[in-house]
Amino acid sequence: MKTLRAADIIVGCGIALFGIFIIYASTLIRGGAEHRLPPETFPMVVGFLLLICGSALALKSWRLRGADLAIKWPDGEGARTILITLASVACYIVLLNPLGLPLASFLYIAFSIWYLKRSKWLLAIAISLITAAISYYLFIRLLGLSFPAGFLFE
Amino acid sequence: MGFSFEYLFQGFAIALTWQNLFWAAVGCFIGTLVGVLPGIGPVSGIAILLPLTTVLPPTSAIIMMASIYYGAMYGGSTTAIVVNIPGEASSVPTAMDGYQLAKQGKAGPALAVAAIGSFIAGTISVIALTLFAPTLAQFAVVFGPPEYFALMFMGLSLVISLSGRALLKGIISTALGLTAALVGQDPLTGAERLTFGSVTLTVGMDFIAIIVGLFAITEVMVNVEQRITTISEVEVKNWMPTWDDLKPCWGTFLRSSAVGFLLGLLPGCAPSVTSFVAYDLEKRVSKHPELFGNGAMEGVAAPETSNNATSTAGFVPLFSFGLPTAPSMAVLLGGLMMYGLQPGPMLFIQNPDFVWAVIASMYIGNVMLLVLNLPLIGVWVRIVRIPFYILGPMIVFCALVGTYSVRFQTFDIWVMLIFGVIGYFMRKLGFPIAPMVLASVLAQMLETALGQSLLISQGSPLVFFTRPIAAVFMVLAFLSIGRGIWAQVKAKAPEVVTDDAEY
Repeated sequence: MKTLRAADIIVGCGIALFGIFIIYASTLIRGGAEHRLPPETFPMVVGFLLLICGSALALKSWRLRGADLAIKWPDGEGARTILITLASVACYIVLLNPLGLPLASFLYIAFSIWYLKRSKWLLAIAISLITAAISYYLFIRLLGLSFPAGFLFE
Repeated sequence: MGFSFEYLFQGFAIALTWQNLFWAAVGCFIGTLVGVLPGIGPVSGIAILLPLTTVLPPTSAIIMMASIYYGAMYGGSTTAIVVNIPGEASSVPTAMDGYQLAKQGKAGPALAVAAIGSFIAGTISVIALTLFAPTLAQFAVVFGPPEYFALMFMGLSLVISLSGRALLKGIISTALGLTAALVGQDPLTGAERLTFGSVTLTVGMDFIAIIVGLFAITEVMVNVEQRITTISEVEVKNWMPTWDDLKPCWGTFLRSSAVGFLLGLLPGCAPSVTSFVAYDLEKRVSKHPELFGNGAMEGVAAPETSNNATSTAGFVPLFSFGLPTAPSMAVLLGGLMMYGLQPGPMLFIQNPDFVWAVIASMYIGNVMLLVLNLPLIGVWVRIVRIPFYILGPMIVFCALVGTYSVRFQTFDIWVMLIFGVIGYFMRKLGFPIAPMVLASVLAQMLETALGQSLLISQGSPLVFFTRPIAAVFMVLAFLSIGRGIWAQVKAKAPEVVTDDAEY
């Protein structure tokens, strides 16, 4: 998918398939058939919209001749940074309940700052400690929001 | 219920309570901060912070959100002028002349002109909002479900048609937003849809999680990829503008306020559009058009004035019809709905204290912004230098806390992350994000209005064409779609979005 034309063909086909899936899923919806607008109607319409527009996008791009645009994908290092950033957010979410908001936030922020700027590990620890303290005292203690506090604070 | 001074004074009485003044000041400060910080725009800022306001009463929360919004519109000028990085698309024309002025040692006066322009535009627009919104709401009181459906349909089609040559992508973006909103229980019958037997999916996808993902997480991914580290080299010594700086700008302030406000009433006309229109207009009427792009003070005044006028104008259709005209307004609509408030004509009747307090707070907020921003120009310039390796993780932290605090469900944070990834690919592949946001917010209202309309008409879709107001909206909707199709047919290039609202 180096050019927009190629990407549009692939994405268009994917969207059309997704539309077919939504149409199929709509047929599985049960109940409310006596209503003027049964519950499956809207998803069905949206599914057909996806199918038609996805197919049209793929077809239009396939027939396209002339100038094409290159997509600015990240280079190897950029892609790795994005993947690690996403993985660290995923770990943050996974650890939120078992470790609690303060400790999970501390670990996530310390790791992220350290990863994005290796030389600043002391700064990473300082900022993540402040964030953990704020998350505990502001959100859990002061505002009383139902965040998991974690084993350290329970 | 039209405009009356009695309601406005009541609104001032509520807005001037110390709590609301405090939250307005906090909103102005955070808004300017959001605008100043590179890598986080006004929509992301509001989306991240909106869920955190659940601890506040509705009036204070929306006052704060509105202050964040117009504060952020101002703050974008700082990065544009000082470091040549527009905080959001609406500040792109500001950067063209602002940075040139900064290099000439006039960064301070340019920032002051931006602040004064924002103040004038904000004040003129809020006066117009005070007069227009209740009048339009009075007109909209007669709206039934068919009119509302037609209005929302028109709003969506206008936003889709603004995708320019990427019409198909705009429709796909809308359909994907609708699909996400359809997961869960049907609002009319309670039947489960697209849940595939999963209990987690039964609660549906919260649109706040979708919005925060699409803006905040996507923004972080894009910035991480570009490895942005912003360091300002421009020194700001003196911020006070001279009479010669201000003299050519007075006409610009008035013209750009009018352009920004009037265009801002239209769905899809985001500040990013109106600031370019205002800039172009000023260049045309200027006696020295050759100065534009090389450091014309009017080149800073025009976009900054018009974008603030537009951001206030967006509240007119939001309060009068419940129609968000831009992603930021969709987020604010989400905020209103989160508090159980239904924007639209009944808002003025059922919640007059709320709506007039918010309007009154805008007068106060504009003064606050001026007072806050002029003396703090030096501080904002220093904040521009916060590097992204600190900012990025903090954005994710705020996004996670904000999303989780809406329903306290881990599922919502996963939705946020997934939509962050979807948003990243949408931006890479030229899909507009605005239609998806609007669709995810409007989906349930749209379907409910459609269901109720069909109930009234005993199943006949002709109800949308036999009632005059609904028919007008439907015709306008089909005209805008037709215009989009025409542009599509003529296009001989790959589908690319020409402008995404507020990007």
